[in-house]
Order: sequence, then C-alpha cells, then structure tokens
Amino acid sequence: MASTLRLYLTCIRNTLEAAMCLQNFPCQEVERHNKPEVELKTSPELLLNPVLICRNEAEKCLIETSINSLRISLKVKQADELENILAKKFLRFLSMRAEAFQVLRRKPVQGYDISFLITNYHCEELQKQKLIDFIVQFMEMHSLKYFRRT
Amino acid sequence: MMAAAEKFVEADNAEAIITRIEHKSRKIESLLKQNKPVEALKTALEGSSHMICDERCKSANWIVVHRALMAIKDVEGMFSSLDPEYYDILMKYLYGGLSTGDRPTCDQCLRIHEKLTERAGLGCILRSLADTVNAI
Repeated sequence: MASTLRLYLTCIRNTLEAAMCLQNFPCQEVERHNKPEVELKTSPELLLNPVLICRNEAEKCLIETSINSLRISLKVKQADELENILAKKFLRFLSMRAEAFQVLRRKPVQGYDISFLITNYHCEELQKQKLIDFIVQFMEMHSLKYFRRT
Repeated sequence: MMAAAEKFVEADNAEAIITRIEHKSRKIESLLKQNKPVEALKTALEGSSHMICDERCKSANWIVVHRALMAIKDVEGMFSSLDPEYYDILMKYLYGGLSTGDRPTCDQCLRIHEKLTERAGLGCILRSLADTVNAI
C-alpha cells in the first residue's frame, strides 16, 4: 500500500519535472492579451499530450501542459460518505482561498476534486522544485488519512 | 522487412496490419512460454509506430503490448537487456497503461516507470508528452 503510494508520487513528480517547462507566450488570437493556453485549448500546436496517471480505480491525476501553463487535477479516494463530505468541505475551503495559494484553481476540473493552474509567471517568481514539492506534499497529506476516522 | 512494413502503411491496409499484430501476438505467447519476457516485450514494441493507422489497430497493438508488460517480473533485469531505442515507445505505452485505471496494470506501469525514468531521464517523458503525431 505504502509502496504504491511512493511509486505513484514518484511518477507524478517525474512527470511534473519534465512537463513544467513554461515560457511566456502572448495570445495568438487577441492582441496584447496573455492567457493560459491550457485553459483555452484553442490552438492545438501549443498543447502537449495530456497525461492521466491512475493509482487505482478511485485515485488519479491529470496533467495537462501547454506552452505557458500547466494544469494538474487530482481525484482523491474517499472510503465512505462521511469522508466524501469532509473532503469536499475541506477542498472547497481551500479553493475559496485560491488567491492566497496562487497556484490553486478556484474550481476543480469536471470529474476531479481539486485543480492547480501553474503559469509561466509562477515559474518566474517561484522555484520550480519547490512548486513540485508543494504539490507532491499536498497529495501525500491527503493520502496519509489526516481526515480518516481511526 | 522494413520495406514491407512501409508498403503496408502506404497501402493503408488495416486488415494486413491486424494480421501482423496477430502474428506478433502468437510469437509473444511462444516467447513467454519459453520464459523470455524481455524478448517478448521487444517483439511487442517493435514496429509499433508502423502498426497504428486506426482505432482497431491501436487497441489490438495495446492488448499485445499489455500482455508482454504484465509478464515482466524482474524490472531491473529487463532494463539491463532492453536496448535504449525502445525506451521512448515504452514510455508512451506506460502512460497508456497508467490511464486505464486498472489496479494491476497501474501497479506494474508505475514500477516500470520509476526505473525507466532513472535510466532514460526526463527527456524520455517529455518526448512522450510532446509527440502529438505518433500517439499510441
């Protein structure tokens, strides 16, 4: 159990290290605009293949990259209804305060529990390794059953 | 053999490709019976880029590669005999396996992914992300 978690997190870490190669890219369609291309998905030449990493049927991680932005969506496992409610409440609490987190997306992508949006500006201000550490630690924290009943 | 593969691709003959995949599948089964999982994996990965013209071929090829991947028991040993030319195509199939969500497949793919990244580096991952033309 613990070893699959370690392998899962290692896989996500390696994929993020490879995928987080972002550069500034002004919008091609609208003058003087700069938008995260991974959200718009209007130009296929700016997008890389999205990658879905599943640990099992319930837990998965979707990593979508583009030239100037990267979106990571997580689905965490909930064992029963109570955990489902608790996790939803907690993640909603975090998402409401997305401004403070900078890299958090206000609404998770359809089908997932929480999403992160990292742009080239984040990579310029913040350290790439630390960003990746943050995301992996976030996942570890969830999997360590902080909110599970004993 | 390579010229023959090109002719098939030019003729866009899906039936011929399905036949070749079936032939590959039989070869892999016999290699697995002889306890040669690495050879089986090499056979499965060989020519994969030429064998994908439509959804049917893709899924048929995936079944064959999946069979070979699940038969690998010793991951370290596999890498000592697998040539580097197979790393990129193997990485693509690993991500394909990870997206299925099936627990044993994901376990095996995660195990191989860790070792493959150690061997091939982050460039291998990035090539599989960036290759939008030859998607498996």
